[in-house]
Amino acid sequence: MSKTAYLDVCQRCVQKAVALGAEWCDVSAGAVRDISVTIEKSGIKTADAGQGEEVAIRAFVRGGMGYAVVSGRSRRDIEASVERAVALAKEATADPDFKRLPAPQPAPEVEGLFDDRIAGMSVGEVVRIAVANIETGRAMEADANLSGHVSLAVGEAALASSTGVAIESRGTEIDADIEALVKRGSDSGYFYDFDFGRNLADCCLQTVAASAVAGARRFLGAKRIKSGRMSLVLGPLAAYGFLGGIVSAANAESIQRGRSYLCGKVGEAIASEHLTIVDDPLIPRGLRSGAHDGEGTRRRPLTILDRGRLVSLLHNSYTAGKACTESTGHGTHSGGIGASNLRPALGAKTAAEILCEVQEGIYLESGELRADPASGDLSASIDFGFYVKDGQVRFPVESAMIGGNILDLLPRLDAVSSDAREEPGILMPTVRLQDVQIAGAE
Amino acid sequence: MEDLARHISDQAKRRGAVFADVRILYRRAESVVVQDGRADKLSAFTDRGIGVRVLVGRCWGFASADSLDRRRAERCLSDAFALAEASQEFVSDPAMIAAVAPVQAEDRRQPEIPPAAMPVKEKISHLLEWERQGRAAGGEAVVNSIVNYSDGQREEVLANTAGTLIRTVGSRAVATCLMVASDGKMLQRGMEHRGIVGGAELLRQITPEEFSVRATAKALGLLKARPAPAGRFTVLFHPSITGLLVHEALGHNAEADAVWAGQSILEGRLGETLAAPTVSIYDDSTLPGAFGSYAYDSEGTPSRRRMIIENGRLVGFLHSLETAAKFKAEPTGSGRAEGYDCRPIVRMSNTFMARGTVPLAQMIRGIDRGIYLMDGHWGYVFVQKGQFICHAGQARMIERGEPGEALRDVSISSMTLDTLKNIDAIGDDFEMKMPGMCGKEGQSAPTDCGGPHVRVREVVVGGQHGE
Repeated sequence: MSKTAYLDVCQRCVQKAVALGAEWCDVSAGAVRDISVTIEKSGIKTADAGQGEEVAIRAFVRGGMGYAVVSGRSRRDIEASVERAVALAKEATADPDFKRLPAPQPAPEVEGLFDDRIAGMSVGEVVRIAVANIETGRAMEADANLSGHVSLAVGEAALASSTGVAIESRGTEIDADIEALVKRGSDSGYFYDFDFGRNLADCCLQTVAASAVAGARRFLGAKRIKSGRMSLVLGPLAAYGFLGGIVSAANAESIQRGRSYLCGKVGEAIASEHLTIVDDPLIPRGLRSGAHDGEGTRRRPLTILDRGRLVSLLHNSYTAGKACTESTGHGTHSGGIGASNLRPALGAKTAAEILCEVQEGIYLESGELRADPASGDLSASIDFGFYVKDGQVRFPVESAMIGGNILDLLPRLDAVSSDAREEPGILMPTVRLQDVQIAGAE
Repeated sequence: MEDLARHISDQAKRRGAVFADVRILYRRAESVVVQDGRADKLSAFTDRGIGVRVLVGRCWGFASADSLDRRRAERCLSDAFALAEASQEFVSDPAMIAAVAPVQAEDRRQPEIPPAAMPVKEKISHLLEWERQGRAAGGEAVVNSIVNYSDGQREEVLANTAGTLIRTVGSRAVATCLMVASDGKMLQRGMEHRGIVGGAELLRQITPEEFSVRATAKALGLLKARPAPAGRFTVLFHPSITGLLVHEALGHNAEADAVWAGQSILEGRLGETLAAPTVSIYDDSTLPGAFGSYAYDSEGTPSRRRMIIENGRLVGFLHSLETAAKFKAEPTGSGRAEGYDCRPIVRMSNTFMARGTVPLAQMIRGIDRGIYLMDGHWGYVFVQKGQFICHAGQARMIERGEPGEALRDVSISSMTLDTLKNIDAIGDDFEMKMPGMCGKEGQSAPTDCGGPHVRVREVVVGGQHGE
């Protein structure tokens, strides 16, 4: 189907839903074509390809929502799904908090989200990127065990609603993720890296294995440490996950429902003044960029944390209506809320300077710092971390953990680096937290 | 569906595939979310398509399409051949396949109440009642409640070049409950989860007392709990944590694709004693009604019980057709694919530790200062390092052989091989109630896990304060 054909499908579904009794309705439709080449044992394991189309219908009756998703292009299946969405909406409980779906908000598409070169890549070209990584990794470490994927996706989509929204978009994405395992006798080091982009010019896909192998070598010789309170420096990957978790908690739905540790914190300082985070969906070629959210609301940059103060929540049309405010353009078509490209404000010191100042601490290169979304309690493993003493990284650690509560930790964030890892649209600086409880096995 | 699957499989054979299989899948599911007294969101999902996997020369190719149109299916086959051929010269570890005995079968598991047989209105009424009773149990302390139910049917036809033709029809149903309570200063969550191979009868099996009311009690209890201490402790695992241990720490390492790829710490260890001599661990996809059970895996191998650890010794891995060939082992029926658009990969089903002989009270008495971990929530593992993490929703201190104060939000992390050797007591009880979806390589598979209470020495606890 052509792009316009998807918009036609959406508009026909909206008309049918309204005719069946939907008071509000929006429909998204689109297609994705993907290729994925798998690396295993430093060779090519398999090449996969898929193509799929999907139509998702959201219908509202007295504010109650019915939602139906169907794959493929069978007209009969699509019509049955429209009927099901409306029938379910009629069964749902009336919801006076639902106010309206977004009205049309025209905006030019963000530049650089579709790359003809990615769209035109053959399987052979994807295989060659995978092979280049194998050669790069093996050249550094002949016995390195490399695994991973090189994948691309080409998509097109449309959205139409009963309010007159009619949007079409298309995008491309390519990524390489490589894991490296390096052994020295009974010792082993393991790490990974990745690169991705919406545009081939933004990627260095052939050499991802180099940083994966270098990382795996660094993680050889892991040791146990003693428990204690110390500094915790989060490298770009770890910091991005940590800060992303805070932004996820600023989801207006969770706060309106009373289930987030950020309830009652809007306008308050929750972190030190070093922390400012902007969500910017309009960066050209950005991984999560786009002119509209999944409901058709025009997106815009939004400051979520300003010098430690929680200044904005992420809204979709439902939470905005409930709060008598405007949607911030963070709605997904299924009714959820999600952030786009996060851009923490950079600080004054380089990552190296931040690390140099640490008397005793942990440098967490990568790891999942997942706080309980209600209590903010955090009890996490140091998946890829190093012990730091007198400003020097000494050795990788094993069997160690981080504990605390996120609302206690954030005021102790005392540095954000002036340099950062950049991925399309995304900025990943290094950050430091002071006086963090570390549990060790020594 | 059978004709199309057989036609594509025959075509693959004629074109010279060493092996090929064709999976045609049709799935329907519906879900109901009740939140804060309202049936908030009702959803339906329909999915159908075909996946074609071919082994050509030394390499696999796999292509899928969301259509059962014959021409698109034939195009899938051509794509799969082209994909395999594009990679031939770069293969370092040639693909293999075990000898396959052709199976012609139909397995139709009719649930007591098929998902479509119960009106949505009735499903909603069950959820509203559970939620009402859960909220009533907590009074004004409950600030948010979410009860979620989903059920669905999956119909799959598999044909391969060895002559297998299997049709399977089955359904699963899942219910979850989240209660959030506040004391004005802090929020805490209590969760309950149920899942069956079956249909809407789950709604009639669940009682509010053991579901939503229990979730509320957990949340209220956590409001009075204090943060856990940090450090190394003797730890008592509730069966739900034992389940996480055997699934995350051991089970993923015993998946033979990881072992063959050199990514598992169990590579080259078959036959070695890796755990305490009282430890035996199984994966069993034949358990009636268990969430991870099935009759045939996605490659057509009949389901069976697999022993992984026998009295402390590593005796077997979980195998697909490919890993069985590479290890010269028997296929164990562990090749599972989530959808038509996924290749089968090696997966667990219902993984558990066999019961031991020690009464719970005796295990507690043997702990001078330790932590009792309960209410297993989640976990993950790095098989390459053998490092895992398990998260417990609830915990208690144990002091001088007696259960002590309640603790909140505790995770543990350790190395798999250390932990298995540090098990010093296995309970005489058994529970397997951890139905869930296990993620691997972007696919999720229904699994369950459990076992008895287990006592383990020297486990690192990620607490908030020092001793």
